[in-house]
Amino acid sequence: MHDALDGSTSGFAWKPHQQVEVSSFATEIPVAGADNAAWSGALSRTGPKVTSDTLQNTVAAAVSLPIVAQSLRVASYRFACAAGWQAERPPTTKGDSRRTANVPAPFGTRTRIRPPGDIVKLEDRLFYVLQPSLESLLREGALSLPAQPFGYQFEGIAFLYPRYCAVLADEMGLGKTMQAITAIRLLLHAGELSNVLLICPKPLVTNWQREFAAWAEELPVMVVEGDRARRRWQWQRNEAPIKIANYELLHRDSDLIAELDLHFDLVLLDEAQRIKNRTSVTSHAVRELPRRRSWALTGTPVENSPQDLVGIFEFLAPGYLNDSMKPRRMGRAASDYVLRRTKDRVLTELPPKMFRDAELELSAAQRHSYQLAEDEGVLRLTEMGDGATIQHVFELVLRLKQICNFDPATGDSSKFERLAADLDEVAASGRKAIIFSQWVSTLETLAERLAPLQPVQYHGKVPQRQRDALLEQFRSDPNHHVMLLSYGAGGVGLNLQFAEYVFLFDRWWNPAVEDQAINRAHRIGAAGPVTVTRFLALDTIEQRIDQVLREKRELFDTIFSDVEPQAKLGLTHQEIFGLFKLRCPNGPIDTAA
Amino acid sequence: MTTSESGSPPGLGFLTVLEHDQLGLVGGYLVLNVHGRPLEFHCTAPVKANRAQQILFGPTLDSYLYGEQIGQTLLGKCSLELLGVCTDVERALSVREYVSLPVSLVLTDSAAVDGHSAIGAPTTNADETAADHPGLTTGAGPVWRVDAAHRAAPHLCEFSIGANRLAVPAHRQDDRETITGRLENLGEFDLAEPFQRIRQAVEEAHRSGRA
Repeated sequence: MHDALDGSTSGFAWKPHQQVEVSSFATEIPVAGADNAAWSGALSRTGPKVTSDTLQNTVAAAVSLPIVAQSLRVASYRFACAAGWQAERPPTTKGDSRRTANVPAPFGTRTRIRPPGDIVKLEDRLFYVLQPSLESLLREGALSLPAQPFGYQFEGIAFLYPRYCAVLADEMGLGKTMQAITAIRLLLHAGELSNVLLICPKPLVTNWQREFAAWAEELPVMVVEGDRARRRWQWQRNEAPIKIANYELLHRDSDLIAELDLHFDLVLLDEAQRIKNRTSVTSHAVRELPRRRSWALTGTPVENSPQDLVGIFEFLAPGYLNDSMKPRRMGRAASDYVLRRTKDRVLTELPPKMFRDAELELSAAQRHSYQLAEDEGVLRLTEMGDGATIQHVFELVLRLKQICNFDPATGDSSKFERLAADLDEVAASGRKAIIFSQWVSTLETLAERLAPLQPVQYHGKVPQRQRDALLEQFRSDPNHHVMLLSYGAGGVGLNLQFAEYVFLFDRWWNPAVEDQAINRAHRIGAAGPVTVTRFLALDTIEQRIDQVLREKRELFDTIFSDVEPQAKLGLTHQEIFGLFKLRCPNGPIDTAA
Repeated sequence: MTTSESGSPPGLGFLTVLEHDQLGLVGGYLVLNVHGRPLEFHCTAPVKANRAQQILFGPTLDSYLYGEQIGQTLLGKCSLELLGVCTDVERALSVREYVSLPVSLVLTDSAAVDGHSAIGAPTTNADETAADHPGLTTGAGPVWRVDAAHRAAPHLCEFSIGANRLAVPAHRQDDRETITGRLENLGEFDLAEPFQRIRQAVEEAHRSGRA
């Protein structure tokens, strides 16, 4: 037996062993007689009898295992590399240290861009997944930074970069400005943006100019300002990829923008809480801007009620949120669009912020004036009955709060006595303090009484053109220990991290506004702990309002955490009237801020 | 990096093969420009050798799957001029037999050289670990190697470009010269980084396919 090979040319297919059938050959030889028997026998011999049989040569059965090179399915994606912003810059030489200054080493930590949930097409998602890390983009683009960003700031940039709708809602002082500028810078250099419109409150325009100069020195910025003819010319210019306009101006130029058929790759709103009221002209003006991307920056996406966030989303994605949504559901729906970090969570190395609640008894003269004013006011409101409006109540509240600051008759102030004592200590130690009030008149009174400390004033009465110089004076002159600011003018956009003491001489209606004020000092770059002193006159309207503020803070936590609301939140008509134990004639109010 | 005759700077290809427990092998190929930005991405459907292939290809199966079937197919899809191809899987070096481009292995602490995990990388095969390190308890969590990472196997020729450690097959020493010459301006580019992108992209595509 032997192995059989198929002789065909089709290949070397193996066949199993097969038993070959072989027939046997029977040879019969007869036996011969004696004498002639051999010869005769030889003649008569007919030969051997042969029996033949046919060999049954059957074909062996074979099992073939063809080896076929399978055609492999491949999915292919090709990405266009657009020409990005080309800035004129001095030639760099090999080993130029500036090229890589403050950008992490390529082999170190990397921050990757992740596609947002609303990008559905796989090719678009892969485009972002396959982008290099932010650190690599900065290095390869030779984009230097004036300071090494924190890890959470890289995360914030990576959050903004791929998004067409985004709210960066970091707590004040975490560097929203720098994150937005760097994201814009990278997108401009990648060719994904070519014209950007930044809208901010008017007092912050110069601040944004400064920040752009610091964080993206190669990017030209044009501030839209001046008379209408000049603005028309500016709107049409394309040399600068970034235009800055303030909210008020934007409202005036809405028709101009429509007439010129302008379109923006990105519209960025700073202090986006300005559009929380959907019926305001400001909100209408920004929503009408033709644009591809919509970003909003705010440290206080919810100031008074969840409707504030709905207002901001009307700019980002109209109709995506609505007033009927419960806070928790709204928080979930907004989660992929809103990035909110707090200092406590991300800036563990930031010096602590310490609160001191200075709960003070009014002086005798103040108490007398206060009691008189409250009694008269409540009596008047009671007599008005259902004719009493929220404005009437507010007038009384403001009057009482002013008395808590200074007695109008004698000028007495228990708050000032405490403040003066604290400031003496601040000045003696060579440190600086900032003091907030909601009234310019209070700030001016304080300025007179604190004259030995050479206070610098920063409020609505100070001309815009003087403000930068005043800030620099307070920053650099060691003889100026105190700055007096109004919540309105000084509460946002200022970097006063060299001040280690913050005094809230009176309290604002809204805790978010107070937070903004405090975070002028408690922010990145703060050298030491920041001590915040909140003045509160006991047994007065201030104490009653403080209770409302605490409840508002709980509301904020409800939307931006998984905590269920613990109580009915928000400032209602009932609560305002309730400050004086009065019956409310109407329903809830829109805002009290 | 240099500029091609056509004027546009050529790209660099990154080839990897991912192993999936159920699906088999998935190839991913990313082409980057000189700034590290993606130009092309190709990925294969999962490939799994059947029993007959395992028997018949024997020790040449890996070379066939990684090099011929996956590597050659993916490299053939690229429409751009390239300086060369990098891989982080030693078995994929066999693609060099089917293409004219130089192919180099990027050596990292976690590079899949001869199937060994490297220092700091969690070992997922508990049985193997227990056998190799009888003193270690496998427990529920990963077990970590404490010995040094393996270096290039003797059949590889190792060299460096910047901070990157590379290797080519010992019988392809001429590729070493070619790659060194072509990537001399690589600067601080981390050649191991793009493989992370490929893995994430393959995962993204896999998620997308399931959705």
